[in-house]
Amino acid sequence: MTDVLIALAPASLVSIYFYGLPVLLLLAVSAAACILFEFLIHKYLMGSKTEFNGLSAAVTGVLLALNLPPAAPWWIAVIGAFVAIAIAKMSFGGLGQNIFNPALVGRVFLLISFPVIMTTWSAPAGLFHNVDAFSGATPLSIINEGVKAGIPANEIIAAHNFTPLEMLFARTGGSVGEVSAIALLIGFIYLLVRRVIRPHITLSIWVTVAVMTGIFCLANPAQFSGPAFNLLTGGMLLGSIFMATDYVTSPMTAKGQIFFGVGIGVIAVLIRYFGSYPEGVSFAILIMNCVTPLLNRLKPVGFGRK
Amino acid sequence: MKKTFKIGGTHPKDSKLSSEISIETLPLSEKVYISMAQHLGAPATPVVAKGDKVLVGQVIGEPAGFISGYVHSSVSGTVADVVPMPDLAGNMVMHVAIDVEGDEWDPAIDRTDKIVTETSGTPEQLIAQIKAAGVVGMGGATFPTHVKLAPPKDKKAEYLILNGAECEPYVTADDRIMRELPKQIVIGARIMMRALSVEKCFIAIEENKPAAIDAMTKAAASFVGIEVLKMKKKYPQGGEKQLIDAITSRQVPSGALPIDTGCVVQNVATALAVYEAVQKNKPLFERVMTVTGDCLQNRKNFRVRIGTPLNDILAAVGGAPVEGNMKYISGGPMMGKAIVNLNATTQKGSSCLLMLTEKQTLRKSESNCIRCGKCAEACPMGLEPWLLNKLARVGGRYDDLEQNHIADCIECGCCLYTCPANIPLLDIIRINKAEVMKIIRARQAK
Repeated sequence: MTDVLIALAPASLVSIYFYGLPVLLLLAVSAAACILFEFLIHKYLMGSKTEFNGLSAAVTGVLLALNLPPAAPWWIAVIGAFVAIAIAKMSFGGLGQNIFNPALVGRVFLLISFPVIMTTWSAPAGLFHNVDAFSGATPLSIINEGVKAGIPANEIIAAHNFTPLEMLFARTGGSVGEVSAIALLIGFIYLLVRRVIRPHITLSIWVTVAVMTGIFCLANPAQFSGPAFNLLTGGMLLGSIFMATDYVTSPMTAKGQIFFGVGIGVIAVLIRYFGSYPEGVSFAILIMNCVTPLLNRLKPVGFGRK
Repeated sequence: MKKTFKIGGTHPKDSKLSSEISIETLPLSEKVYISMAQHLGAPATPVVAKGDKVLVGQVIGEPAGFISGYVHSSVSGTVADVVPMPDLAGNMVMHVAIDVEGDEWDPAIDRTDKIVTETSGTPEQLIAQIKAAGVVGMGGATFPTHVKLAPPKDKKAEYLILNGAECEPYVTADDRIMRELPKQIVIGARIMMRALSVEKCFIAIEENKPAAIDAMTKAAASFVGIEVLKMKKKYPQGGEKQLIDAITSRQVPSGALPIDTGCVVQNVATALAVYEAVQKNKPLFERVMTVTGDCLQNRKNFRVRIGTPLNDILAAVGGAPVEGNMKYISGGPMMGKAIVNLNATTQKGSSCLLMLTEKQTLRKSESNCIRCGKCAEACPMGLEPWLLNKLARVGGRYDDLEQNHIADCIECGCCLYTCPANIPLLDIIRINKAEVMKIIRARQAK
């Protein structure tokens, strides 16, 4: 779990650099609230005698904060933390027992309950600047609105200068953790090198998204954005690297993990293209979380067995 | 090209601390206690009585069934008692206690250092000699070698595989004999090839033993059909089924025996014992054993007589290396068994006496399974240890455990080693596997 926190550090630091101290506050409040809720429930509600370890709650807290808009008020994080820990995790029996990714349940709860706050984006500014809460929109929402208004997707992308290079390095508007693709990829490489996760889930999401958006984009570039845009925007990287790979809520065997990743990719792209929400990664992961117990029935390759 | 098995595996630190220490003969004990159950199968029947005089290499126990073996005296002296006492694993087993007087060997044994290369005799004669010498699998399983060399009529051996992988951390006994006695081992392999009527023998050695690979390659050069293979360092490379898979890409079917793939696997130490049995007429009454541990300064590779009390070995390296609680293990840290009692004595399968401090062996407190799947990834048999653990803890679901192939578990410990939640997976699986095996045997007996 410590390794996951280390892997999340680059994305968190880049975000603090671009959005300033409010993001630091969000991260701190969210992590602290998650640890506190888990501790209280673990000790007083469940009366567990086992030693309390807050690291997994801290990871949930950091992930939740990374999924919030940078200008979100701190109390949003507290509500999100309560839903994530108390409802999505501890009510299922605590560590290792939950079906859904707690941080994502928290985020989706907030998205539905506080739609205005949760979709008010700010443009990346810099450390010690006040966050300007009304100037930015995410590339995904720009495309979503634009296409609905009848402007071709490829023209919007060109007009806003959403080049892959631009999005790779930083400064895409969006949630706290989505600001820099490079920072997220550094975290991914760290997790792989430390053998914390295997690449199956993440890569199968990427391949699915790339293939699917590639086909749609080739068929109708005016309506559908392309692979690079879809891979680098929104919660795609954050979700595929850090949320979909959560041990507890993802399948255990390689086979299951590939199915899981493909499912997430397909659902996310469908929501982005045809849904009313501009972003679909959170929903896609939560939907596939339901399928995990089923995917765990896919057995590993047995030695000397057919 | 380094060969390796295809499924699972882990990479524990190899800690071969004693690999550069030459084999040294342990001084004789004043009294030895020789177990009658040093082989898989029925314990031998003692054929000496209190007061009998015995020579080194004299038979003191005779096989009591098809899968059983001879036991020889490792010392000369007077039989003090024939008595049940706890062995290394703590089981009450009949032992022959002998008061050591001098070191007088059976005159039939060739005690010279001369290497006898020429082999003769029919397979039946060779197997009879190996059986008479009480040779068993010395990698730890102690399956009687003569039984393995005589497969059932309908099965045909194609390859002999010598196991010099020594994938267990710490243990260096096989490494040392391969470096110091490579010719004898290769001749032992030659004899077993003859006994099995096979044309091809592979000697598999892990890459972390370059000196042993060199020595064995040189020794094997003058023989036709013997090839030394460098294996990837990966645990459990020396598992019988894993080794066959790595070398021949054949997988022993679930529930079947290695011979069903046409392979017979023997340890290098067994090959040495076969050489001594056939060429030097010397029964198996001593073996090389590593005495090691991070806490031990005075590490050794001892040539030890069977039946030597562990206390005597401990005294020879200067006593317990640290104050306070210690854990002593017979074998390596992955598959070895904790020793209950230091009065217990060495056996034919004792490859190592490993000493661990309390700190090294403390188990961290167990937490919930977080379903990371690392155990399933590490399992070389393609099992799902997390699932077996879950089913086992419900209690009584032996049919489900059987359907999830618990009987295929080779008890290598990869799952326990990788589990981030510190769940004692192997312990739980071992207990339940024993129950399932009982049920399977009862069903087959019907």
